[in-house]
Amino acid sequence: MSTAAGRPLSVRNVAKTFGGVRALTDCSLDISCGKISALIGPNGSGKTTLFNCITGFYVPDSGSIRYGETALGGRLPNQIVHLGIARTFQVTRIFKRMTVLENMVVPVRQSNWKSLFSAAIKGHERERAEGLLDFVGLADYWSMQAGNLSFGQQKLLELAAALMSEPDLLLLDEPAGGLNPIMIDRLTGYIRDLNAQGVTFLLVEHNMGFVMRLAHSIAVMHRGEVIAQGEPEAIRSDPKVLDAYLGD
Amino acid sequence: MRLIRRWGPWLLLVICLALPVLVKQPAWLDMLQFTFMYAAMSVGWDIMGGYAGYPSIGHVGFFGMSSYVAGLLLVHFGVNIFASALLVGLFGSLVGAGLGFISLRTRGPAFLIVTLVFALTVQMLAENLNALTGGTSGLYLPLLDLPPDVVILPFYYAMLALTVLAVATSTFIRASRFGLGLLAIREDEGKAEGSGINTALYKILAFAVSVFFASVAGALHAQYLNYVDPDLAFEFIIGLNMVVMALVGSRATPWGGVLGAVIMFPISQLLVYTLPDKFSGQVPLVELGILLILIPMFLPDGIIKSLERWAERRRRRPRVPSTDTFAPAPVGAP
Repeated sequence: MSTAAGRPLSVRNVAKTFGGVRALTDCSLDISCGKISALIGPNGSGKTTLFNCITGFYVPDSGSIRYGETALGGRLPNQIVHLGIARTFQVTRIFKRMTVLENMVVPVRQSNWKSLFSAAIKGHERERAEGLLDFVGLADYWSMQAGNLSFGQQKLLELAAALMSEPDLLLLDEPAGGLNPIMIDRLTGYIRDLNAQGVTFLLVEHNMGFVMRLAHSIAVMHRGEVIAQGEPEAIRSDPKVLDAYLGD
Repeated sequence: MRLIRRWGPWLLLVICLALPVLVKQPAWLDMLQFTFMYAAMSVGWDIMGGYAGYPSIGHVGFFGMSSYVAGLLLVHFGVNIFASALLVGLFGSLVGAGLGFISLRTRGPAFLIVTLVFALTVQMLAENLNALTGGTSGLYLPLLDLPPDVVILPFYYAMLALTVLAVATSTFIRASRFGLGLLAIREDEGKAEGSGINTALYKILAFAVSVFFASVAGALHAQYLNYVDPDLAFEFIIGLNMVVMALVGSRATPWGGVLGAVIMFPISQLLVYTLPDKFSGQVPLVELGILLILIPMFLPDGIIKSLERWAERRRRRPRVPSTDTFAPAPVGAP
């Protein structure tokens, strides 16, 4: 990961429609660099759709997404990774028939054509991968087929692999989903450590305890737009948020 | 085992190089020459179908197209096919890259359909461009100016060289960053793209490399028969053989296609020669049909991977029964 604080992410008036379903309507959001931000909201509020728009998996119908001075609109997911934005998925996605170490090395950024035909796993990449695997407690499993890891371990592998691309901004889609309390505590520690090293985080999460403990800033989505954004305490008592979660 | 892995391929190469000195019968050399041809094409097919997980049924289109291109270069410009084969292969790769550019930006079965349509389109062109290709009457090529008892040798060695090149290329790709990216695409293309892999570029490149071997083989095959016609050059069974041989041997392995070809082609030839005439013509199709049913049922990962898994299980089996039956399996340290 970079030691630099990265760049701010700015989402402005983004809309995305699937057939007749308006997943995002006039959605705006600011993510400060060097912070841990969380995106919360009821199911179907458009959180993952926004993630997919930011990371290039969906092309927004309108609006703009900027990472620092760079517009992300029209860029492919692989190009966005090269800008320093990495992500994990709501349903854990790892390369199950590849080894843990191979999973780690796939996201390493390619600099040129020559590197495409170089050795699959170079010495320094292996060292870095081993360091990150050690960080998430998977160092002993490097040669194991990734699909044989437990669910929690697969989540940690996905996180560690995302870090291999040395992101400045890491988007985690429900990182605590399906994890037991001990694993959630470990994950909280990893995210705090990484943030202290300069990585900016944007989390989508339903586990409110996890979000409140971790996030410096929370944005709340409802029916495809951000209805509130601020510090956790302010969000907790925001009437619009309470209405979105508890209202009619 | 390590000794076999290291020296086995070299020993095999020396044996193959020496075989024409030991085996004088042209029928055996003919069979070996075709086995090498299929081995090279199958290993090439596997770069796309095995590593990247994008099976093509249109490789025969490149085989046939290159037969015509090499044949036309010989007939109209007098270019020796042994001199032009590699260039024709590169031409095939270029066409493959173009076709890939159109079809590989999408995911899934669209690619399969496009490759099939390509093969059928080129075949139709060969049938209908009478002035250029001779239409359904075919194209007659000048014979090689060599004595009959040695005329097979250039083809034998050329196909052997093509097989060596295919295996070397596949081995290199498997060990490279490119190969790792292709495997990632096969596993989960969306995730691969989200990991920073330019999936379209990887797939186009893999397809261009993959069809090179079918293209070179097609060029050499045209000269071997001294004749090209649309039915022979685009025979569907040639394309099907490449696929099934890779499946039999094991996909995504440098030697899978070779093993598949070494097993399948001689068996099919043996049956053709030993069975009564009224059955023998259908033998290759029946063989392919049976294998297409049996392989997914009993050897879904092919012979090499099944053997590797068996050897791995055998290696992990404790020789002395452990007192702690619940002890976790050991995992290697980095």
